[in-house]
Amino acid sequence: MNAALGHAGVLLGLAAAAVGAGVIVWGIAAKRPELARSGSLYAPLLLLGAVVATVAMERALLTHDFSIAYVAANSSRQTPTLYTITGMWSALAGSILLWGLVLAGYITAMVWRFRRQGSDPMVWWATLVAYVVAAFFFGLMAGPADPFRTVAGPVPANGLGPNVLLQDNPLVAFHPPMLYLGFVGFTIPFAFAIASLVTGRVGEGWQLATRRWTLFAWGFLTVGIVLGAWWSYQVLGWGGFWAWDPVENASFLPWLCATAYLHSVLVQERRGLLRVWNLSLVVATFSLTVLGTFLTRSGVIESVHAFSDSDIGPLLLGFFAVVLVVGVGLIAWRGDRLRSPGGIDSPISREGAFLLNNVLFVGFAFVVLLGTVFPLLYEALRGQQVSVGAPYFDTMTVPIVLALLFLMAVGPVLPWRKTDLATLRDRLVLPACIATATVVACVAAGTRGVLVLATFGLAAFALASNLRQLARATRAAHRHGIGAWRGLVGRANGGMVVHVGVVVVAVAIAASSSFGQRGEVTVRPGSVAGFDGHRLAFAGLAVVRTPARQATEALVRVDGAGPYRPAVSQFGAGTEAVGTPAIDSGPLDDVYLTVDALPTTPGGAVTLGVTVQPLVAWLWVGGAVVVLGAILAAVPGRRRRATDPASAPVPAVAEALGRGPEPDADPALSHMPAASETVGAPAP
Amino acid sequence: MTVVDRDAGPVEPSPRPGAPAESRRRRRHTARWVAAVVSVLGAGLVIVLATRPPATATEVDSPIVGQRAPALSGTTLEGQPFSLASLSGRWVYVNFFASWCPPCQQEQAELVAFAYHHRGPDDVALVGVAFDDAASSAHAFLVQSGAGWPALADPGGSIALAYGVRGPPETFLISPSDVVVAHFDGPVTAAFLDHWLQRAQQEAG
Repeated sequence: MNAALGHAGVLLGLAAAAVGAGVIVWGIAAKRPELARSGSLYAPLLLLGAVVATVAMERALLTHDFSIAYVAANSSRQTPTLYTITGMWSALAGSILLWGLVLAGYITAMVWRFRRQGSDPMVWWATLVAYVVAAFFFGLMAGPADPFRTVAGPVPANGLGPNVLLQDNPLVAFHPPMLYLGFVGFTIPFAFAIASLVTGRVGEGWQLATRRWTLFAWGFLTVGIVLGAWWSYQVLGWGGFWAWDPVENASFLPWLCATAYLHSVLVQERRGLLRVWNLSLVVATFSLTVLGTFLTRSGVIESVHAFSDSDIGPLLLGFFAVVLVVGVGLIAWRGDRLRSPGGIDSPISREGAFLLNNVLFVGFAFVVLLGTVFPLLYEALRGQQVSVGAPYFDTMTVPIVLALLFLMAVGPVLPWRKTDLATLRDRLVLPACIATATVVACVAAGTRGVLVLATFGLAAFALASNLRQLARATRAAHRHGIGAWRGLVGRANGGMVVHVGVVVVAVAIAASSSFGQRGEVTVRPGSVAGFDGHRLAFAGLAVVRTPARQATEALVRVDGAGPYRPAVSQFGAGTEAVGTPAIDSGPLDDVYLTVDALPTTPGGAVTLGVTVQPLVAWLWVGGAVVVLGAILAAVPGRRRRATDPASAPVPAVAEALGRGPEPDADPALSHMPAASETVGAPAP
Repeated sequence: MTVVDRDAGPVEPSPRPGAPAESRRRRRHTARWVAAVVSVLGAGLVIVLATRPPATATEVDSPIVGQRAPALSGTTLEGQPFSLASLSGRWVYVNFFASWCPPCQQEQAELVAFAYHHRGPDDVALVGVAFDDAASSAHAFLVQSGAGWPALADPGGSIALAYGVRGPPETFLISPSDVVVAHFDGPVTAAFLDHWLQRAQQEAG
């Protein structure tokens, strides 16, 4: 019943995507606009199919329908309801189903959003590309990654339950869906980029149309990455939050490219420059999501080295190749025609800063990609094994991050087109003083280490500079009587809030990774041990039994608070025992406890692993601020393109602008419609 | 809202009077050249990824294959007593590893996946033995990777000596009747372990 329903849903989705794509192709080829337009009608059917399949899967999980192999392998009667529901994305086939559902939702939203432009060939092509992507993923479910495959032989009485690491923390309910909302969301900008290349219309209109989709996906991806780091910090028991694992890198690569795009698209909107570059970034972002999915396939325990025994590995690789060929081929074909006529006048200008920002982000992505695939390449070429670990990534990325922090301080205060040193000095003297004071204070407080001090100093520089921009914007908004909160919303101001969050994250990472202390203490019941200025009192052991889990907890009071309960847990009938850490989190530092060895005799001493890391909690705060900034940036602010004549290529106006007011600091100054609406000439 | 049919770039300026036609033409090919380079790199990447062999471990001749498995007992890295005899009647993979060896790091995710797929109470068991490694780092290595199988500390390397291990990772398959069936050198994959287990089970009838 569930299997039949699920198969029906998958096939409905596949048929809707395939027929929709076919209808659009036919309409375009036969020059029948009404036919091409009708292609959008298949999106709701696609969504219906995905929803039916998802409902069937959740129903099978919740009713313990072990006749479906996926359910038997990833849930059990003892699994708590929450982890039964999340079982849908705890292994490969089910997570492809989640992917399909999210994609169908995005496509339907896209079709609905552009319902009034249904006669535009750009929308036809974009819908066509989206359908082709959807057909690929539903095709995977219809064939090699069928989540509704039934078990061979008798139906088992009970299932095996999900991987123990996936039933240890409720974050598993949020982290994968958020990540997928981010990953899959890049399909829509990609579809419009391809449509734009095919139709040869690369003006600023499609950028406006897809920038917000990108921002949306980027925001979800950020949430997903931060939650993933938080989850690994709370569950994996080694006190870290980022290990440069291929799985993590796979989510980080598209994030880097999308971040670069969100910056450089502003240059295109304001100056009409970097058109082909922006298209390339969108194509690269989507390609990297596909490559990342291929490298990791899915799930926590999967790794880059596990793909060759999977049925869908070669298909994902083929899909990646097709995406690359289509994207790169179209750019090669259209690139010359679409290039913008102008150039960047002065490197010390807003667009110059954005260009450097893009170089740094793309360099960052390249470094991470190289580190991720290098072991594979090296082995293929030299036949020897190497491993690329944290030292490589840290050495390569820390200078890039420092440069980005510097740019984050300087970029937002630079005017478009060009500037002079006096302007720059006016705007940066206060942040620079604050940065210097921060470094001096840190040195006085005993902080040593060039990289850490540089990070703190540049972070203070960037923080002060961005807060200055926000203060000016809110003040200006208040002065214009439109409410000071207006100075916090909109693209530029939301971007400043994101910058503030990134600064907080950078400081938290630098502090926790440079000044963390790790060690073991052995304590007898009733006694107290000291570690790095904290008092750990061990009260005794407690055994907790639930149907799904049996755990031996050590009750530990940290500085009198608690008790915290690090544990060794066993889930279900399996024989695996996993450590469950406990964290005393505070604004200054986190005390991270694990049970390293249980007492061998009753009443004996327990060995606790202790990690004390300063400022870790601010990592999550900073992540939340980044997401808040992304939300604020998505709220329509006041567009000021048209009053800012920078986009008009008349030299005299540009001259005047160089000495003009800081455009982005004062959102209230402009009430004019967007440039793309006033300038009517279609791109050639 | 933004409308796609209003799609338009800013007014294109006439080419600057001084701009030579030659430089414009040269610039026009940049996108094509970059695209060509990216295609070559991308094709290379795809070819490498597509042709990667599934496994790099090899079966090696070893004097103890066909013999009774040497004793394997001691304290696990978790501090609990363990003996291979407690797993008698089950197929067992014994894996010699070290946290400092890259191939061990490579195979670890495979071992975790394999253990996860064979987590039934009577299914094949995994036992790790730390090879020339500090107990704390070996333990941290296992915990980080999510490994849940028992692993012995092997201080002094007596177990490694008895099994004739030269360098990790090496893996031994032991039958339910405690006989060493095969000895593998190099990083294994889950598929590799499955393949050899099935073969050994068929031969055993």
